[in-house]
Amino acid sequence: MKVSDKQFDELLAAATAQEIKNSLASYKLVPSLSQAKKLRQHLEESAHRKLRLGILHTYTSELLDPWLHLCASLNSLDIELYHAPYGVTVQEADAGSGLAKFAPDITLMLLQREDLQAAHHHKAGDGLENEAHIQRSLSGLLHRLRDTIGGHTVVTLLPTFSAPELGLYDAMAEHSDAFWWSKVKYSVAKTLRNEHNGTSFLDFDQLITQIGRDNFFDQRLWYSSAFPFTSDGAFAVANAVTTFAASLMLTKAKVIVLDADNTLWGGVIGEDGMRGIALGPDYPGNVYLDFQRRILSLQQRGFILALCSKNNPDDVNEVFEHHPHQLLKHEHFAAERVNWLPKPDNLRAIAEELNLGLDSLIFVDDSDYECTAVRHSLPEVDVIQVPSRAPLIPQCLDFVARLEIVTLTSEDLDKTAMYAQERQRKSQYEQLTQTGGSIEDYLRSLNMTMTVGLDEGSNIARLAQLTQKTNQFNLTTRRYTEADMSEKLAQARFRVYHFSLADNFGDSGIVGLAIVDVESATAARLDTFLMSCRVIGRMAEQAFLYAITVNLRAAGVTELTADYIPTRKNVLVEAFLPDNGFVQTSDGRYRLDLASGSDTPEAGFPLQIQGSFLP
Amino acid sequence: MSIFNQLREIMATALELPENAINENSTMEDIEEWDSLGHVHIMVALEQQFDLYMDVDDFAELNSVPAILKYLEAQRAT
Repeated sequence: MKVSDKQFDELLAAATAQEIKNSLASYKLVPSLSQAKKLRQHLEESAHRKLRLGILHTYTSELLDPWLHLCASLNSLDIELYHAPYGVTVQEADAGSGLAKFAPDITLMLLQREDLQAAHHHKAGDGLENEAHIQRSLSGLLHRLRDTIGGHTVVTLLPTFSAPELGLYDAMAEHSDAFWWSKVKYSVAKTLRNEHNGTSFLDFDQLITQIGRDNFFDQRLWYSSAFPFTSDGAFAVANAVTTFAASLMLTKAKVIVLDADNTLWGGVIGEDGMRGIALGPDYPGNVYLDFQRRILSLQQRGFILALCSKNNPDDVNEVFEHHPHQLLKHEHFAAERVNWLPKPDNLRAIAEELNLGLDSLIFVDDSDYECTAVRHSLPEVDVIQVPSRAPLIPQCLDFVARLEIVTLTSEDLDKTAMYAQERQRKSQYEQLTQTGGSIEDYLRSLNMTMTVGLDEGSNIARLAQLTQKTNQFNLTTRRYTEADMSEKLAQARFRVYHFSLADNFGDSGIVGLAIVDVESATAARLDTFLMSCRVIGRMAEQAFLYAITVNLRAAGVTELTADYIPTRKNVLVEAFLPDNGFVQTSDGRYRLDLASGSDTPEAGFPLQIQGSFLP
Repeated sequence: MSIFNQLREIMATALELPENAINENSTMEDIEEWDSLGHVHIMVALEQQFDLYMDVDDFAELNSVPAILKYLEAQRAT
């Protein structure tokens, strides 16, 4: 729908780019070209992160530019664009190409189905020959591209304009268009997932489902200018591409902090009581039920939930434990603050309890007062205000870039279980220390086993994610994409170590990473050394360093150089190097003598160390 | 605002030019930025501004400010 002058003024009055984005989405609005330009100018100063987007295309792409500019600013990105010459894809993979010179953060491939030589015959067999075709043509292109062009690659396929060839019968046909097209997309996604790190498939059909095929495609522009999209379509494409880009470029959120009244349910539990609040199968209770489902799915894809509500704890407990339609239970929340303190104070306490920075938090609340208070006193926290119109609530977390995910690791899926294990450890610790036990006794009582691996490429997604997410226990805070990690693994001089830690309560999954650059036969440099905050305080870092030095010494390395690069968040590791035998030299760097230094005996650690490369 | 002034604003936005780069006699040949892509931008913006659904066969003939003004007047009359 068009944006009226009145609506446009309201958009300009919104507090943040994200709110403008949400309003456009909620009211299904698409700005005109001149409104797009004004919005972009209005948002100019809020764009703090640069995005270089290179576009390879086999149909006209330049007409997307105003929409890409607008949507980039809605996602707080300052975009710079490069369009490859029309139809040129393979050539752009050459080292001297325009794309290579542009050095994009993200390369967007706008392809047509013909480019993948995917053909459809209603009488054909099972379509497996298509899968091989697609896999071959896509891999041919991507291998060359990924060799020369850095950054992330996003592949898209233009869906068809027309109704299925078999018309209304299509859904009944054994070899229906719909089935074939899903298989094509399945094959593309499978090829990318299995063979090409740092690539993703963006499905335009999701956008078509959202706004409708007739609203997405413009036949006139397609046949006259080889540009397939209406303004609505172009806006949807640009929005999806830039949201995806933002999710790659911006630091991920880790915690969703939720208000309770008028957020998890309609009404105020302290006033309306169990029977008065809206939560259940009828309007408006069904809205809140759906919103809880949405939140639960975010929790299942790796986000941590926290509760922050001004209420009497007993009232909230009553809903959590006894309301027949309450979906979210205490077990889903890693931290809870139900009290009458100011919310900014509670958010600080939640961040502290979870051992995370405030900028990992996204705060979701319906109240103007609370949202403004948090925005004002904690600018690092992203605030999402729950819409006042109930039917818009369930989708208010859609298309939030910092809640989008680009890969799903098994650690993400297990995260809340891990926080539950952590609570069990805490109570064991408290029991032991109350009866006079030491920290050492506690650590030994956990029966920890550390498994150290020297990576051969099977954990790239998780390792890249660790470099992106780890802020506190991180000596150098170097951020690597999946593509960077693959590049490092491909070079013999880099050794990539990681570890996981299992104990009586569970297995941490991969939580530590070290990258060692073996610069010469005898000298190595510790490029990265980091550990998830989840295992801080268990002497795992010393044991991990020990395992690495044993391996390096066996390889003939006599000196390990390391740096501590201070950031606002990593003061925790300020003394890690000197505490572990490294000596600071006049150039400010740290050196560990592996030739004369002796191995710390393994028995010195309150844990067992396993690793195929260890003696 | 006169139709010309509205058109000039649209064209300036679509072609990323200052408004004074466009006058009542401008043609596609005079303005470097008014290439085939710029032309599509102008057509799309005209549709949005004047609530039109244009015939693609008219696109090619609307290659000057006078031609577009004449077209818009005619649309208004109907």
